Amino acid sequence: MYAYDTYDHAMVNARVAEFRDQVDRRMKGELTEEEFRPLRLMNGLYLQLHAYMLRVAIPYGTLSAGQMRKLAHVARKYDKGYGHFTTRQNIQYNWPKLSETPDILQELSDVEMHAIQTSGNCIRNVTTDQFAGAAADEVADPRPYAELIRQWSTFHPEFSFLPRKFKIAITGAAEDRAAVKWHDIGLVLKQNEAGEVGFEVLAGGGMGRTPVIAKSMREFLPISDMLSYLEAMLRVYNEQGRRDNKYKARIKILVDAMGIDEYRRQVDAEWEKIRHVPIDVPEEEVARIKAFFAPPPLPVLADAATEVDELENANFVFKAWLANNTGAHKVPGHAHVTISLKPHGGIPGDATDEQMDLVADLADAYSQSEIRVSHEQNLILPHVAKSDLPALWSKLDEAGLGTPNAGLLTDIIACPGLDYCSLANTRSIPIAQTITERFDDIKRLMDIGPLKIKISGCINSCGHHHAGHIGILGVDRRGEENYQLLLGGSGAEDASKAAILGPGFNEAGIVDAVEKVVAVYLGEREDDETFLSAYRRLGPDVFKEAVYGTD
Amino acid sequence: MAKKITGPQLILANRLDDGRAVFLTATGTWSNAAADAAVADNEAELDTLMTVAQAADLANFVVSVTPVAADTSNGVTAPAHIKFAMQARGPSVRADLGYQVSPNWEQ
Ligand code: SF4
Repeated sequence: MYAYDTYDHAMVNARVAEFRDQVDRRMKGELTEEEFRPLRLMNGLYLQLHAYMLRVAIPYGTLSAGQMRKLAHVARKYDKGYGHFTTRQNIQYNWPKLSETPDILQELSDVEMHAIQTSGNCIRNVTTDQFAGAAADEVADPRPYAELIRQWSTFHPEFSFLPRKFKIAITGAAEDRAAVKWHDIGLVLKQNEAGEVGFEVLAGGGMGRTPVIAKSMREFLPISDMLSYLEAMLRVYNEQGRRDNKYKARIKILVDAMGIDEYRRQVDAEWEKIRHVPIDVPEEEVARIKAFFAPPPLPVLADAATEVDELENANFVFKAWLANNTGAHKVPGHAHVTISLKPHGGIPGDATDEQMDLVADLADAYSQSEIRVSHEQNLILPHVAKSDLPALWSKLDEAGLGTPNAGLLTDIIACPGLDYCSLANTRSIPIAQTITERFDDIKRLMDIGPLKIKISGCINSCGHHHAGHIGILGVDRRGEENYQLLLGGSGAEDASKAAILGPGFNEAGIVDAVEKVVAVYLGEREDDETFLSAYRRLGPDVFKEAVYGTD
Repeated sequence: MAKKITGPQLILANRLDDGRAVFLTATGTWSNAAADAAVADNEAELDTLMTVAQAADLANFVVSVTPVAADTSNGVTAPAHIKFAMQARGPSVRADLGYQVSPNWEQ
């Protein structure tokens, strides 16, 4: 993991001291709310419906056990004993007091954490594959490059007041687990014919009220050019992005208006001007950063473990967990493990302080003290020896963290919605809870297979409904909650936009509609066709008929 | 200038220190309970309430002062729109924690 140097420490500590002074002046009335609001937002502090909300950055979703323990401590001491892991791989606290937020930030700074780049029109925290550095299928670990982008973008004077927020995602594997095509810029690590590693660069993706899938800018960008090329991309956007209209200010609108070819031409022209000034870092610096992410010294072990086979034969739930929540690791005899934060009937992404402490302990015991957060709102132990899986699972299961549903229908993404969020039209969490209760049968879920449901409480799309195999969007219908049903989206390498099926539903109606859609799939699927493939083959009509009737 | 209103209104704000949703009462205090809210039936009454509310804003007691439509139909005052009604009720989840506000505030 990356470790702060003296500059990082000094920068974050100075920021905490500055914010402490700003909060103090706000409490005394020396700053008005109008003056204070942008300052608190730069420190991740929002005012929501019932309380403040503090969004803490987890850069590229990587945490140490010590950092997780600190997150648990903050939840216990300053909040109501829980936190919410988000689709941006961050954590949100729902109940901090304004006067205590500087103390929280100071405590976080002690473990090299902060709330910088979690809000505002800057380059936000870079997100990546939750299995980075562990997955058997990756070309290269994306985290050193994510860290370089973090260092380049944090407090970048030119890019602190962009037309709108700006999100970069990066993946090192061909299977896209980071939804890179749904980001302002997506980077995909690849090898060219000469065997060199570089990036495919995508631009102009995004959700919100105008969902757009990113287009390819360059098939192959050498790693040594990454920062100067990003700088050129940001410059053209910063200059030409629509500052006059917040709804048209994202890069997706600019790229759409000028066309990807023209955007590429302008970026290339800008790049020519700046690529020879020292923006890109020398090879030694890249090597220095890479060393922080060197693979842990895992022993090569036998791939078969008798303890695993025995429990798998004896316990169906463990067998399901093994199939769904563990995946192939680079090092034989190991696995990466997804800890589901989606217990049936529970709140997607929520974890209590005790659960966070337990995950920290288990990371120390079984996973080289490393933890990851996925954009699907789960936690990951990236480096577990297969022979440890039975012991790990039983400890998780005892704490309500052993739900064997990763990647299945009940592994639902849901934004906080109207239970917390001041921008919401509708609640999201209770819909997820009711769906998971309705489908509370692991055999049935495994029969249905991979199916991603994603729920947003408004068009801002924090719940990624545009990319849901089944998406649910909350809308305001004359002051009442109403839910639209969308089908056929994907956030993976085969990214697609989900399409609205028809008129919206109330709270009970939307859950029934989901059940009808699943029934159509089960009736129509061929061989081992997934839900998404079946939808793509069948089209919407047969689903529409089942949900709305024939007339 | 009085703002044109189409029905009864109440005034909602968040306390500065913990952000809790509070309602302006007829005596000029702020209550956690929407049922205690003063209701303005016309523009002049709303103006009077807003003057009191804005003074509390200037005194750094509350932020985000907002007049919203009130529903008084079943004898208990509540915000009419679902969003503001949620602010009165608190989250519909984690009922085990009750109405979740800052533990230190009420003392
Ligand atoms: S999608 Fe809307 S309701 Fe949900 S968290 Fe984002 S802004 Fe709030």
